[in-house]
Amino acid sequence: MDIGDCYVGWATDEDIRTRGASGGLVTAMLAAALEKGLVEAVVVLKKLGEFEAVPIVTSDPEEVKAAAGSMHSVPIVLSRYLEYGTKVALPAKPCDARSTIEQAKRGQVDIDTTYIVGLNCGGTMHPAMTREMLETVYKLDPEEIVGEEIDKGKLIFETKDGEEHAIKIDELEEDGYGRRESCQYCAVNIPTMADIACGNWGVIGDLAGKGTFVEINTEKGIAILENAIDAGAVEITPADEKGKAIRAKVDGAMMKVAAAADKKYLSPIEGSHLDYYINALSDCINCGACKTVCPVCACGEGAKCTEFSSSSDTYKMSLFHLVRFVHLMDSCIGCGQCTDVCPADIPLTHIYQRFARPIQDEFEYKPGMDMTTPPFFGVDLLEEGH
Amino acid sequence: MNENIFTTVCPGCSIACGMYVREKDDGTFNIDWRKDAVVNAGKLCRFGVRLPANLKAAVSKVDGNEVELSDAVTALGNAIGDGAAFVSVGNTTCEEHLALMKLAESKGAVVNTGMGAFSAISAECHSTMGVGVPLDAIESAKKIVLFIDPYEQYPLLVRRILAGKKNGATVTAVGWKAVSLADDNKTIDPANYESELALDSDSVIIAEINPSTDPERVMVLLNLAKASGAAIMFMKPFVNAVGCDLASKKTEQKSLDQIIAEINDGSIKTLVCLDSDLIEIMPDETAVREALGKLDNLIVITSRASAIADVANIVVATEPFYKKAGTVVNAEGRAVVGSGEGTDGIDAIGVMLGQPADLFAELNSAVLATLGIDAVDERVIPVYEKPEYGVMDANPTAEEVETALVYAGGPFFWNGIVDDNDFVEMNLDMLTANSLLKGIPAKIVSDKGEVVIKYKVSDVAPGVVLSNMKLPMTTGMVTSVTVSR
Repeated sequence: MDIGDCYVGWATDEDIRTRGASGGLVTAMLAAALEKGLVEAVVVLKKLGEFEAVPIVTSDPEEVKAAAGSMHSVPIVLSRYLEYGTKVALPAKPCDARSTIEQAKRGQVDIDTTYIVGLNCGGTMHPAMTREMLETVYKLDPEEIVGEEIDKGKLIFETKDGEEHAIKIDELEEDGYGRRESCQYCAVNIPTMADIACGNWGVIGDLAGKGTFVEINTEKGIAILENAIDAGAVEITPADEKGKAIRAKVDGAMMKVAAAADKKYLSPIEGSHLDYYINALSDCINCGACKTVCPVCACGEGAKCTEFSSSSDTYKMSLFHLVRFVHLMDSCIGCGQCTDVCPADIPLTHIYQRFARPIQDEFEYKPGMDMTTPPFFGVDLLEEGH
Repeated sequence: MNENIFTTVCPGCSIACGMYVREKDDGTFNIDWRKDAVVNAGKLCRFGVRLPANLKAAVSKVDGNEVELSDAVTALGNAIGDGAAFVSVGNTTCEEHLALMKLAESKGAVVNTGMGAFSAISAECHSTMGVGVPLDAIESAKKIVLFIDPYEQYPLLVRRILAGKKNGATVTAVGWKAVSLADDNKTIDPANYESELALDSDSVIIAEINPSTDPERVMVLLNLAKASGAAIMFMKPFVNAVGCDLASKKTEQKSLDQIIAEINDGSIKTLVCLDSDLIEIMPDETAVREALGKLDNLIVITSRASAIADVANIVVATEPFYKKAGTVVNAEGRAVVGSGEGTDGIDAIGVMLGQPADLFAELNSAVLATLGIDAVDERVIPVYEKPEYGVMDANPTAEEVETALVYAGGPFFWNGIVDDNDFVEMNLDMLTANSLLKGIPAKIVSDKGEVVIKYKVSDVAPGVVLSNMKLPMTTGMVTSVTVSR
């Protein structure tokens, strides 16, 4: 097995294969990593309801197996739950993987002991919005939902009576529903920065819906997949060229959709930029949730943004936000967590991206894509003679 | 390190925002966002985000010495005699509150929630004063009138009010300080509320009842709601104030001021406080400490370390709020339960009552019966009857002071926690009139003492010095002061 190889794989355990997405390969691989001692812990989402799950760090393979299946209405970034030095694996959407790498660059995550099992991602939805959408658009009781999937551009919900209810995502998003705004303009759908990238795009023929397409990106990627094969938890077959081409085509189509959303949401500000930002931030209640939840912030409690600002300030715009806007220019990945948790519903991710995008383009730096390029705000103190 | 994850609600106020608490083996914990929570969609204010810094575990004590919980319970049983007074303001579950009520009943007493307005206003109003409106109703209102500052007092209302504005509502704020989300900020004589606010049945009034709220002021607002047909919502500073009020209905209540007065005149010799720290809650901390010092027995049953536990004769330390089994009813009347299974407080009271271990089950049934439901579903608000009430003759007390030190959020909300709020606010005219200079703190003096503190220029009413924290020279909700540099 070599870096760059592509396979289609599935779990050998029938239960995992049935409950997991696309043949349960990821679940089987994570559980096997624990069972064979490749890692000490795995970060997964423990399902509490159809739209609710909580991240857990577990050493119990059974908890990993119980977490099988996708949850598009649980928009959580898992990298915040990693503990430095622990040999750990995590299933990682591109934002999970990218924030893990940004944290590793800042010494918060040991990348050598962290196995990033990437998952293709077309976007996630906020559970509150999902419930509202089900009631108002699908005319369904959210409590009747037993499953959901995204297929061929449609968002499909399955109800307890076995019926499937599908609506085109484009139409939903036109009406303000569907994926979170930041997911709509995110152009990173295949986690090529992860140790191994998994997803259902490119799985064709008899294996469609029953297997996971896997691309090996690193030595750790080889290790975690071979470990699962050795454990008898996973079987693979080489991916064919047609599958690879389809996968690339789907990715390309998703990137075009993202580019259109980018144009829609992040078009230049009309009028005074200063007024725009003052108005956008005027309802901030100084809770600090945006910083606490940020998966690329590595500053801890005594940070510049908190130390340089105070509720007693009378500036027209809080220094807390201004410092953060500047500080995150090189690391904001647009994951949407800050917007999700903002109690005043300030579209913070949108604003951070307005600051970050131009400068990231200028420096040709896309955060979280690999470990080789340091943050452009990073200074090597040893090299500088300190 | 292993974690236990609890689904719970924030104990900060009566909105009762859903959240997770992640507790580690060593007892330390972090909070996490519960995005599927119907009340708050996972969003939390500063109090919720900083809960780990603000919430410390309590320790059982007898006469200042640390003891096992069982020994503290034994001491508690020996110390409570007839004539004891009981307080539970609503910082615990309905079930634990009911357990205390059973104990109080066995001693011929009642449990006081301390909300003086409920004692002073006729019972036909209590349902309207207790249970508010669904938070969604704020988003669909045509007019929203604020008698609170949502940014400081109940921050998770901000998004609801903003959503209402987005849906076309106009927002009027009546208060000490201009609120930026309001279309109109007004100072109105209560006699003119009806004519100046011009409300109707599509309007929502948001106000607050706390232990020091002037009942006459509540009556004025009830009259306003009745005359206009507007919905009214009284926020409370304690997470389960509504649930505990529902549990306590039909009992004669004393205000906290009355309780302190009766301690001072010797009528109350033993006081039992269930998650109710009068030192933190009441405006004049010195006066409260002096009164508590006159008690033969101060008994504190508490889920967290706080000032009153330091001066109590007996402290019965129960599990933290997030670990408690039981029901909380929020300002909307929505019942919620967490995943906690702890019943330390109930078990302790059960021992004293000679009650078997299933006291929780009995109390839980009683709570569900009171709410008229078979089981708690956080997505369905129980139906509450709100009887018609008559117009009341009300004359709110006007504070006649030249320069008034006023709490922005009252001393109850967040129990006076110091949290980036160590400054006062006043308008530019106040600064000029008192010769204050930029960068030099202000000196604020009352009959009780003085404080030197940072200030911030805000759009505050003339003659008002607004404070978010309880200052040591405070004598009440409004304190007459002088300001100089």
